[in-house]
Amino acid sequence: MSTRTYRPLQMHRIAYSDLTEAQVTQALRPTSNGPSCKSALTGALAGKRIKIVTDEGPSLDYNFRSARELELAENGGKAVKSGYGALESRNLVLVSHMVPGTQRGYQLVVDQSTGLATVFEVYFSGYAAEETAAAAQAKREPQFKSGHRNREAQRKVWFGHVEGTPAVAGGGAAPRHGYTNRLEGKGVYWKQDNDIEILEFYLTVLYSNFIELTRFGGELTVCAPSDYIMVNDHQFIYSRIECEFSGTFTLQVVDLFDVTQRGVRLGLTDKDELEYYMYTGKGEITGQIATFEVFGNNGEARTGPRRVYRPIETFETLTDDQVKDQCLNHAVAFGDGKGSGAAGMGGYKTEPVTHFAGKKLSVRMDNGPAIDYDFVDGKQLKWRYRGDDHWREAWYEMYEPDDRLYFFAHLLDAEFPRSCAMVAFDMKNGLATLVKGTTGTPFRNNETHPTYYFGVFQTDGSPTSPTYLRHGWTDEMVGHCVTWNYQRGNPGLTSMHFYATPNTYSWIIFQPDGSGGLQWSSPGWYSKVRDGVYIMAWVEEACNGTLGVILFNQRLMHDAGFGFHVGRNGLSLSVVGARARHAGKFDIEQHIGVRI
Amino acid sequence: MSGIAAKSTRRAFFLRGGAALGAGVATAAPGRGATAGGVAEESDLEAIRRLHLTLTTLIQSQSYEEAASLFDENASLELSGVGARGKLGILQLFAEQYRHQQAPAIHSAYRQGARQLNDSVTVGDDRRHATATFHMDVEVCVPLQEDCTAAQMARLQGQMADRRWESGRFEAAYVKRGEWKVSSLRYLAC
Repeated sequence: MSTRTYRPLQMHRIAYSDLTEAQVTQALRPTSNGPSCKSALTGALAGKRIKIVTDEGPSLDYNFRSARELELAENGGKAVKSGYGALESRNLVLVSHMVPGTQRGYQLVVDQSTGLATVFEVYFSGYAAEETAAAAQAKREPQFKSGHRNREAQRKVWFGHVEGTPAVAGGGAAPRHGYTNRLEGKGVYWKQDNDIEILEFYLTVLYSNFIELTRFGGELTVCAPSDYIMVNDHQFIYSRIECEFSGTFTLQVVDLFDVTQRGVRLGLTDKDELEYYMYTGKGEITGQIATFEVFGNNGEARTGPRRVYRPIETFETLTDDQVKDQCLNHAVAFGDGKGSGAAGMGGYKTEPVTHFAGKKLSVRMDNGPAIDYDFVDGKQLKWRYRGDDHWREAWYEMYEPDDRLYFFAHLLDAEFPRSCAMVAFDMKNGLATLVKGTTGTPFRNNETHPTYYFGVFQTDGSPTSPTYLRHGWTDEMVGHCVTWNYQRGNPGLTSMHFYATPNTYSWIIFQPDGSGGLQWSSPGWYSKVRDGVYIMAWVEEACNGTLGVILFNQRLMHDAGFGFHVGRNGLSLSVVGARARHAGKFDIEQHIGVRI
Repeated sequence: MSGIAAKSTRRAFFLRGGAALGAGVATAAPGRGATAGGVAEESDLEAIRRLHLTLTTLIQSQSYEEAASLFDENASLELSGVGARGKLGILQLFAEQYRHQQAPAIHSAYRQGARQLNDSVTVGDDRRHATATFHMDVEVCVPLQEDCTAAQMARLQGQMADRRWESGRFEAAYVKRGEWKVSSLRYLAC
């Protein structure tokens, strides 16, 4: 059993400081000495002078005076001295340095055998200008709700070569490193020389998600915009910026022959302390899932600036009074009897179950509510808490995601906070699970949260319920990736779920060419109902606040479920019904840590 | 504009291989052709052909405001069931319904097809009015209308509920007010 150090707040709950430019300058001052590193840095470039010429970017004249000090002249300008660090990975040298007195620097990957070079120009305090320009181009308002994000690293990527090396000696079209999708779908467990353990998943060509096993205890996965660059078939450059969080930049050279990494991490922690170090690491491939581009699409094309999904920036936080008004006066369940239709995430919902009309049902949850139901017809029910004479009316929808396994939902009392009940009951064994969704979290009023209850039920024709056996938590879904097609059409509304730990998942939205695109994550809950049949719930925390609960039948590759949401347009309880494909699985259980 | 086209003294010009739209490149096409009325001015024919190329290229590149500027003040537009009248209305259609993916169907890309051999441009005797037929394939997209997180993210990266290519033709009319402007444009699926 592993020991994990957990954090009181996960990344999406940390209120990172909105530092001024002057504060960032001050924090970065030590970077002029170059990065630290637990492993021995290389002196491979010591005493050498090289000039890196990039195609559309800077020309960089380097004089590596020693293994730790260099002089750089940018675009023929005056040379400046800086500390630096370098690590070798076979033929590649990763160099990291900042430009003293500025908030910017360079991370170089130089291929000593071909003379090709990739240059990451990394800088801070650049978000405001770039966001302003991007907003003007897209004709929208710039996003500054979370501040100017001076702490967030920005990067420009330049491809080029070392002047006078074989890359250009032969004439003709000069080869270059290039963007790629060849890492897409791969997962790696890394252990770094500084004992940091991390699970990384390269599930899209724009984003990656990772589980910080050491720094955050491995509870949640988080996502970051990323770059994937191919050097050759076994060597790659991967980088990410933890946008929406600390803004930290990470770049590493990955060698898939021996699954090693050489990396650099540059940024400010949640305590605004500088992290600037290089590292080496050894990895294990945890899996390779399917990708969905057509054959021949190698993901080399990039147009326009990289997209960054900023849910924390765009999430509209409502006040107590605003949410209360929505809960009490603008609540709708399944179209209030008109049916939920096939909109949203319910495009492939199955036929609603109506044959319980006229029947009664009693569910009794361990350490939870006991509720009596009277199904008036196929759309409306009456319910009351056991022992309460007061029957309430509510709209409901019921589905049968597996043989004689039923799942229905309805709103509970019109109060603030407001709740709903989602009830799964199994006519083959008398077991039931009730997921109670409720508005509000300690962080935002218009988020929701689930409370799980396991128990039993009784209705006409139901078996005697077991005394001790219950549905329960499971980690059987951990590592699996499943695409979900919610809407008809080509491609319709489609995403991929990655069930990353017993407490979290991430979702991937495909780009028009089938490659993975934007990605985000949330906490998740998994319980087992039958073999191959699970209830999975998630809350889009710091995102849309929605609670989704699906009953997923792996034999059918189909689900039935419900969405519970409160926002400016009201409180809603709606249906989820989608078709699934299995995209693969990562073998990560052994890395997750403490099992319960 | 149909009245203009019906004039017995009209001059017509038949384009051959003219509507080259690939990758938004406005390829110059040879201007040849004549009718009973005589040979149309090469400059008018070329200007109209280029106007159409420019318009479709601007729509494809989502330069919607610039696309709207190519229409006459009283123009009409109908693209796969989405229409507007007047230059201001067309601007609103592009800037709002198209840009924010609120239209039920959106033209997102164009490409040439074999039927462009049947393209034609007819210039009126007054050299101030013209009609044209341009054949091409259109990528018709149905935007995602949902408001869930997945749909919001999909829209951010240009994803649609449905994409399909279909063959069709533009029936267009033009008016010259110093320079040629589109006075009506209607897309008809084959």
